[in-house]
Amino acid sequence: MNTPLRFILFIFAALMLSGCDGQKNANESLTVLAGSELKDMEPLLGDIENKTGIKLQMTYSGTLDGAEKLIAGEPTDLAWFSHGKYITLVQGDRNRILAQEKTMLSPVLLGVKESEAKAWGWSDNPNLTWRDIAAKADSGELRYAMADPASSNSGFTALVGVATALSGSSDALSIKDIDQAQLSGFFKGQQLSAGSSGWLTDAFVKEQARLNGIINYESVLMALNRDKRLDEQLVLIYPKEGIITADYPLMLINGEKREAYNKLVAYLTSPEFQQKMMEQTLRRPVIPQVKLSADFASPLLVELAFPNDLAAIDKLLFAYEDKHRRSSHAYFVLDVSGSMAGGRMQSLQTALKNLTGQDQTLSGRFSRFRSRETLTFIPFDNQVYPAKTFTINDPGSQSADMQAVRQYADSLQPLGSTGIYQALQAAYRMALEARHKDPDRFYSIVLMTDGENNAGLSEDGFAQFIAALAPRDRGIKTFTILFGDASQEGMKQLAEITEGRLFDGRESLNQAFKTIRGYQ
Amino acid sequence: MRKLIAPLLTLLLVLGLGAGIYVSVNEQLAKQGTVTVRGLIGSEKEDFFRDPRVIEALAKQGLAVEVEKAGSRQIATQFKLKDYDFAFPSGAPAAEKIKREANVNKAYEVFFTPMAVASWKLIAGILEANGIVSQRDGVYYIIDLTRLLQFVTAEKRWSDLSKNGGYNVKKSLLVGTTDVRQSNSAAMYLSLASYILNNNNIVDSAAQIGPIIQPLESLFLRQGFVENSSAAPFKDYLVMGPGKAPLVMIYEAQYLEEASRANSGVSDAMALLYPEPTIFTKHILVPFNDKGDRLGAALADDPELQKLAIEHGFRNRDAAGFRDFVKSHNLAVPDTLVNVVEPPTFEMLEQMIVMIEQRYKGN
Repeated sequence: MNTPLRFILFIFAALMLSGCDGQKNANESLTVLAGSELKDMEPLLGDIENKTGIKLQMTYSGTLDGAEKLIAGEPTDLAWFSHGKYITLVQGDRNRILAQEKTMLSPVLLGVKESEAKAWGWSDNPNLTWRDIAAKADSGELRYAMADPASSNSGFTALVGVATALSGSSDALSIKDIDQAQLSGFFKGQQLSAGSSGWLTDAFVKEQARLNGIINYESVLMALNRDKRLDEQLVLIYPKEGIITADYPLMLINGEKREAYNKLVAYLTSPEFQQKMMEQTLRRPVIPQVKLSADFASPLLVELAFPNDLAAIDKLLFAYEDKHRRSSHAYFVLDVSGSMAGGRMQSLQTALKNLTGQDQTLSGRFSRFRSRETLTFIPFDNQVYPAKTFTINDPGSQSADMQAVRQYADSLQPLGSTGIYQALQAAYRMALEARHKDPDRFYSIVLMTDGENNAGLSEDGFAQFIAALAPRDRGIKTFTILFGDASQEGMKQLAEITEGRLFDGRESLNQAFKTIRGYQ
Repeated sequence: MRKLIAPLLTLLLVLGLGAGIYVSVNEQLAKQGTVTVRGLIGSEKEDFFRDPRVIEALAKQGLAVEVEKAGSRQIATQFKLKDYDFAFPSGAPAAEKIKREANVNKAYEVFFTPMAVASWKLIAGILEANGIVSQRDGVYYIIDLTRLLQFVTAEKRWSDLSKNGGYNVKKSLLVGTTDVRQSNSAAMYLSLASYILNNNNIVDSAAQIGPIIQPLESLFLRQGFVENSSAAPFKDYLVMGPGKAPLVMIYEAQYLEEASRANSGVSDAMALLYPEPTIFTKHILVPFNDKGDRLGAALADDPELQKLAIEHGFRNRDAAGFRDFVKSHNLAVPDTLVNVVEPPTFEMLEQMIVMIEQRYKGN
């Protein structure tokens, strides 16, 4: 055979074989336990499937929640989080991660409104430090949004980075280095929290008038600017001590899928995908062959050391929840109507008691009620029962404070019909009064009901009540829990008019209560 | 135009089918007599095994190789070795650990590579101004490793150095490594540092470890979280700039492989520093059965495979071949390294690593 013909044959053969290959694998589908910050990859999943013949089925999860599921051995083929360091530390000798490969990069940063960044001399200032930022937050001038570190990787990474920078040591953080006073100053400025970085971003857009900063992935901050979602552009701050970069490792969990995993990694780290990924998601490429586009700032990105010490990380998380963050006042509006009798009431009582420190799972430990937190329970059926308020001074699970909450949960009795809105209205009146007295706390309301409104104030009546609130009385969110026979549409609308969020408690009421903790 | 398409498509189809049959028949023929060999390798050799030329050369020997990568020291402790045909770690100590674990005596020294420090011209300049680095024949040498380690163990930061223009950052002066409990390249750094701290003597008794273990621990613990395998910190070096780690302990082969690649990630701003003394890492294949044995022999003896190893930056018996490779890619690499120390014995190194491991556990 002559050479050109051979060449042509080879090309065709290659085409045909690759065609066959794609066909053969067209049905291959891998499950992925993923961080919710990877939702923005969804537009690229089709492309990945076309190129590799592998369909990725994503299930989203939070930081500790995801780590916990992996360690507990929840079946999944792959895991994909914004970073694998914490999971690697937590897995210890369990060897759940069979392989991991970085797929993209994005540092966690503070974005500040342009006018303030200019006024404070923060634009293009290579000498700006985290200490300067902490001082501005402490003085009340910097008011920022940041996700809850126990629920979200962006919050977690930010907390670790800030604590490392403020420790004054240049090494990886250890327990003795944690500078409690500086951290309290820094977190005074946190005026919006959320359980996920995506939801935090949307809430920041809605509440941009009262805030002037947001901590999130560089990619998210750049996208806010690119998509012109804000009245004022954000200036991205790269403090002198350094930042921590998320590196999105794709992790192999199920050893039988190694071949598919290798194929995926080969494509995800190819120049073709990396270029596309950078352009669409604004994350940085992991291969030197794809050059950073001009959209990215390119100062010397000093990387802070990530701790290797789980005890230090634990202590940091607890210190954040119990000492540094703004204390919160959480209102729980609880349906105790007759339909709750039996298993439903038991689920509710268990869910509440788990938050008193009885849930010792990784995620449970950090979603318990916090020191300095005030809790108000408002049970209702067709009438609104007297509210009961507890303050947690000692967050130990056997403390008198936690025991009192448990006793109260056990005392709840189902009776009567369902008057949702009058109870919710009562909660708002109480929360507003409390906020007038003490405005420096987070206020939020949880509504748990298993049925439809059939007594007292109507849905429309409640909507009118919310609409009529004076501007200074806005901003208290209601997080609704879908349970039993409650109307999904109604609960969703209710969350929307109060700028809160709906959580589905039908599968696990316990999980819903835990997840909401990141927003309280 | 349209009239042409149908016959053209038919022709294409026929050609395509023909080619498909031709190729698959060829494949079937080739597959007869080919043995698939599965093994665990240090991550720095992954590109070698994925190289189509290597795959072809192995196929000529009737071998098809499937690899999984792991930290070289991890291989001995975290895998069921009997599920594999061979292990190909980096470093004689890691190979020794595997041989003991798997109860085998045989091993093939396939190639070797000196330890080197991946860095930046900016950083090399600062170290040069501080008397730590010096250039000879266009190659950077860390001439005063003792002084560098003194700075590290005295917990100096880059901002403490004089003439640190361009890198006046608060970062600790540390050499970035992998996890010393899992990976050989970090164990090689430990070997080298223990030699320097032990007054330029190879550590050969437990009594010598006591006085130097604390500074040795701090070289690793202060880095915080580090990766398990050598490819990861080198990849970070290539994309994250000097802000991540200004000095990274790597195998010379990793740098040369990348620098000689078309569309290379090695830029003009980067520099490779050779510690004086340095230490060699032997890449040793440990076979667990006959199949692994065949692969070991092929890699060690086949001239074509030995030549391809050089193309991936490794050194072996073919010194002239290595010289040609370096020359043809215009790389600043010392031809021979004379100032080289031996690693401590397996037992001594294990003892030091176990002590560091205890510190990681907080004991």
